[in-house]
Amino acid sequence: MPIFGLWVINKAGGLVYQRNFADGLAQLTSNEYLVLAGTLHGIHAITSRLSPIGSSSGAQVIEGETFKLTILLTATGTKFVLLASVTETSAELILQKVYEIYADFVMKNPFHTPEMPVRSEGFDQRITTLMGSFQS
Amino acid sequence: MTIYSLYIYDRHCTCVYYHDWHRTRRPKAAVEGGILPGVSHVVAPSQSPDTQGRPGSPYGSPRNTLSSNTGIVIAVNEMTPQTPSPLLQTPPPPPALSSTGLPFDEEAKLVYGVVLSLRNMIKKLAGREEQFVNYRTSSYKMHLYETTSGYKFVMLSDPGTDSLRFILRQIYIGPFLEYVVRNPLISMDSKERGVDNEYFRASVDRLIRGLSVFP
Repeated sequence: MPIFGLWVINKAGGLVYQRNFADGLAQLTSNEYLVLAGTLHGIHAITSRLSPIGSSSGAQVIEGETFKLTILLTATGTKFVLLASVTETSAELILQKVYEIYADFVMKNPFHTPEMPVRSEGFDQRITTLMGSFQS
Repeated sequence: MTIYSLYIYDRHCTCVYYHDWHRTRRPKAAVEGGILPGVSHVVAPSQSPDTQGRPGSPYGSPRNTLSSNTGIVIAVNEMTPQTPSPLLQTPPPPPALSSTGLPFDEEAKLVYGVVLSLRNMIKKLAGREEQFVNYRTSSYKMHLYETTSGYKFVMLSDPGTDSLRFILRQIYIGPFLEYVVRNPLISMDSKERGVDNEYFRASVDRLIRGLSVFP
């Protein structure tokens, strides 16, 4: 049950963090990832308007035949997206942990500019450890 | 567990059929010219029946063509009076309590847009032929089944349901082939008319109501 990758999308739809952890999906250029993140941001907004009953959140899980995208939307509008195989059961849990790490090592970093790409060794390291503990 | 709605799109991105069951928020009727005639009478632009005929189902019952009082057989009877079909088990619910605030044609376009973008996104990410299957939000789940001929069957259901792809496939190989593809009165791919007809609608309705996920 591999985890393929992680994206962090800021509230404007810009991709501020992207990492691959396992092979299995196409290797895209960073520009292509930026475009996909923007598209996902738009789709997410539309999906919340299509609800047949009352109000709805945006898409939380998007499934293909072999992999899925699990999306965690935080209260501030930042989206954490995990690309994992469809059989991965702990995707939500992983995203929650990623959010915690993000809060600790990105938001609490005085040198980080909000909404800008994340370049932090501490964050990278913790994410690697986290994924390592779930990757088996 | 329930099923909310079904949309069918042809390969020209146009909605050719719409059916809903347990929606509490229904879209407003489409604007004039927004959707093709023969998609669904529930969301068709409102017209007075005596001047425009029934927009929903001109192909109603083929037997109607023989019941003309004048003895002239009319091939496509546009002026069929609006009578509820005896084949449908229950009439559609009265106009919904609240509306999504979106006209149906806009909603149909949004649904198609989402489906198409996600399909392309999944293909791009996978780097090979991989189909988009479904997505889930807090209040509904959308399922997609695409035929080789480019028809897209989109179904909205309860978020808790498992994949409904096989049901969409059943609609395709059952009612759709029988009452749309093999129906000489339906011109498929016409870009002028939807595929709604009494038999297809009744048959889809029966199939969905018979499902275990349908309460």
